[in-house]
Amino acid sequence: MSKALKAKDQLVRILIPAGKAAPTPPVGPALGARGVKSMDFCKEFNARTAHIEPGVPTPTLITVEPDRTFSFITKTPPTTYLLKKTAGIEKGTGRPGHEVTGTISLKHVYEVAKIKAKDAHLKHLKLESIASTVVGTAKSLGLQVVP
Amino acid sequence: MSFLALSRSSIRQAFSPCLARGYAAKSSNTERVLNVSAKDTSAAEEKTLSSCPPGTILEGLNYLKGQPPVIALPDDEYPPWLWDLMKPKVYEDDGPGGKAEKKRLRRENQQRIKDQNFMKTQ
Repeated sequence: MSKALKAKDQLVRILIPAGKAAPTPPVGPALGARGVKSMDFCKEFNARTAHIEPGVPTPTLITVEPDRTFSFITKTPPTTYLLKKTAGIEKGTGRPGHEVTGTISLKHVYEVAKIKAKDAHLKHLKLESIASTVVGTAKSLGLQVVP
Repeated sequence: MSFLALSRSSIRQAFSPCLARGYAAKSSNTERVLNVSAKDTSAAEEKTLSSCPPGTILEGLNYLKGQPPVIALPDDEYPPWLWDLMKPKVYEDDGPGGKAEKKRLRRENQQRIKDQNFMKTQ
């Protein structure tokens, strides 16, 4: 006698500009396909990101339960976005390690690490470890880290 | 008041020792001034660990609404491990089977695989 299989929650990972969620693509189809009313989500998302500068990309993780109710978690902006803004560059290199796009100081790295440390999935890490991951991301963008 | 001050200063000058031993006093004063300034600059050079002077505005990191701009602090206010971030990490030797040995062997194995892969392309 097997139990009826419980339908699993669906996870949607998406990057949305803060305060600017709209039912239009890419948000609309991504959620609509899973049966979520995009208008509801957008209103709640914009309310929750009201304290963030509009336009800052905010990674969100949306959990859609089988009965079409949803909950979501917002995280800190991507490290690459923060690094590109501090360094003043638009794009990272296509050839990290060979091309240098800009220079960044360890103080910048420290401040970026402080922002990322606010994330729930990073709070068990030492700030030193988070800072070394930020240095790794900077290297992949082609940024030179100087003391 | 000014006349009194003038007269006082003139009297002082007449009786002051530095007129009598003018050269010695002057040189000692200048030596002291030079030494102090040299020490100051060398100490200052040793102290600045960062290329980013305190007070620089770190733009783009105030992503919350109404957040004041993030400013670089003086070097002492940052934790000491920050200045060793860019140096290669050193593992103390804990003897056979220790963490240092494992890291070393892994690095050597990875390098060997990379070399073999490269030779296959030749």
